[in-house]
Amino acid sequence: MSAQALPVRIVLARVLAGVFGGYLFVWGFSTLIIGVLVAAGVGYGEAQTGVMLVAFLVFLCVFCWAFAARRLIQVYALLFGGGALMSALAWWLAATLN
Amino acid sequence: MFASFRLSMTWLHTWFGLVLGFVLMVCFFFGALSVFDREIDRWAMPDTRFEAQPMPSFDRVLAPAFTRLRAHPADMARTAQRVHGALPHPDAMPLQSVWAYTTHRDPVLAVGGEFGIPNQPLDPTDEHLHVHGWTTLDPRTGMELPQTSRKIGSEFFYPMHYSLHLRWKNLGIWIVGFAALSMLAALVSGVVMHRKIFRELFTFRPERRTQRSALDLHNLTGVVALPFHFIFALSGLMIFAAIYFPVGQTLYKPVAKAFEESEAARTGLPHDPAGVAAPLASVDAMVVEAQRRWAERGMAGDVGLLTVEHIGDANAYVSVFRAGTDRIALVGEGIHFKGTTGEVVYEDPPKTVVSGINEFLTGLHLQHFRHWMLRALYFFGGMAGCVCIATGFIFFVEKRKRQHAMRGLRGARWDALAVTSVTGMVIAALSLLVFNRLLPMDLPDRTYWEEGSFWLAWLLAFVHAALRTSVVARSAGMAPAWREQAYAISLLAILAVVLNAVTTGDHLVRTLSIGYWPVAGVDLGLLATALIAMIAARRLARAEKGLEREASTQDGGQSLEASRV
Repeated sequence: MSAQALPVRIVLARVLAGVFGGYLFVWGFSTLIIGVLVAAGVGYGEAQTGVMLVAFLVFLCVFCWAFAARRLIQVYALLFGGGALMSALAWWLAATLN
Repeated sequence: MFASFRLSMTWLHTWFGLVLGFVLMVCFFFGALSVFDREIDRWAMPDTRFEAQPMPSFDRVLAPAFTRLRAHPADMARTAQRVHGALPHPDAMPLQSVWAYTTHRDPVLAVGGEFGIPNQPLDPTDEHLHVHGWTTLDPRTGMELPQTSRKIGSEFFYPMHYSLHLRWKNLGIWIVGFAALSMLAALVSGVVMHRKIFRELFTFRPERRTQRSALDLHNLTGVVALPFHFIFALSGLMIFAAIYFPVGQTLYKPVAKAFEESEAARTGLPHDPAGVAAPLASVDAMVVEAQRRWAERGMAGDVGLLTVEHIGDANAYVSVFRAGTDRIALVGEGIHFKGTTGEVVYEDPPKTVVSGINEFLTGLHLQHFRHWMLRALYFFGGMAGCVCIATGFIFFVEKRKRQHAMRGLRGARWDALAVTSVTGMVIAALSLLVFNRLLPMDLPDRTYWEEGSFWLAWLLAFVHAALRTSVVARSAGMAPAWREQAYAISLLAILAVVLNAVTTGDHLVRTLSIGYWPVAGVDLGLLATALIAMIAARRLARAEKGLEREASTQDGGQSLEASRV
């Protein structure tokens, strides 16, 4: 299998991006959308249930993409960078809602 | 890191499938057994082998039973670590709320309650200031069942499939969640890898080399049961969404709490006790009224869950929920009564679209319904998952072994792990059943010995697999560990059936003639397991002999082909 030719460092970088970057991205995505929905007047319970219906599908997509993407830097930028940005926005939104 | 999209998906499929496949095997196997968890309970608890019972009368049976209920020692110990000072004696703790739960397959009734304590919590924000008690009743008499044997199906196999019995910080649930995500990724990447999906539905070449026929079977089971596997991995993740993404307990805690409080206020049900003692009106009359209202909505049904909050207080209220016997979505249709008068305070409103979808997916996974055909399909869907993962392992191991043999390498020993997680797991489950029948009923801590036999048998299977796979690490052909463990499965399965007949008298002739399907079904399943394992072991033995002959005559493919059936 092609894996034998792959350096451990590269494989590890992708796995970390897919698992932890993916988690951070989905956390940011979920909290941001829930915040936006609640701010728009949707009940919290409804917003959370609705977002969780799609959260794992989003995770599945970014997880696969983390291995398929050409450049590692793109993966880290979107998953860790984007995830952190969305989490920060959600945190700000939550502070205004609470 | 890869030249093409397909290559990256192949890598993802191979390595995540392999590493998390060991966990997925457990999820699928014990998940499939959980479809018949109540039936396995009956097999393991001979004194509960009677017909399923509806929710008994609260006024006559449950009310006296709840006066005998006490805080559970296990929860006493857990609570003692969270509060200042010593807990009062269980007899001195006031009962604050009760619940009773049953399904259309339960002859026994699970009940429990919460007991108030005067202690202050160590963590001032801890609002969970009560101790839980729970037990199992014979609903015909209200008497507690002796706690000599665990409900192996619903209390051991069922939690195994989602928590691996690793309860520390929900570690098992997190591992299973990661495995479920990998399963979804393996399904997607599997489809990308194999572009001829339709053709694979009709391709199985058992006469070909192990590696080839294993791959055929892997593709066949993967494609046939693909929607089933996808939906189950996904809905399993959704069921534990609040653990994987605890947004309501962290970032949005105040929002979530305010929402819950406003929802609770809208129901008009009292959140706190009044502090004034008051007797409970007839709960049986409330159940009759709840059933009348369900029938009016065109969904007449039985009671699945009955709860009383603030029991014995002027603010007591009774909630009656419907059992999920006749539909996929888990809809409770709760109707709530004022405890002291029996008047209806609140009815659960119709579901929104989003909660409707969520309840449908949850219900689809938890399968409370009575449809036996669909239940059987679930079981075979889960077993197809096991076959898919096991053949994936075999394909990987055989291919790797051939590559290593060609290059004169000794690679990592994945085959011992594959044997342990396929046949070893079945051996462990069968050992639990065998020891359930062998251990004396009056043995102290009997359930710990039963479970000990499960883990020990699995460990022994691993040791055996490690010893008996090295023999062929260099040559092609399946390791002898597969054959030997298949024989062990056969023997253990037959032993379990014999032990059941000897120790309980409920042999197959009897259970089949009176139509007692819970025990007859488990026995028949065990015999089918024995038969399949025996056939597999004999075929493996023949293949091994063929390979030996091939090796001794230095003859190539022809004798190998001829020796296989």
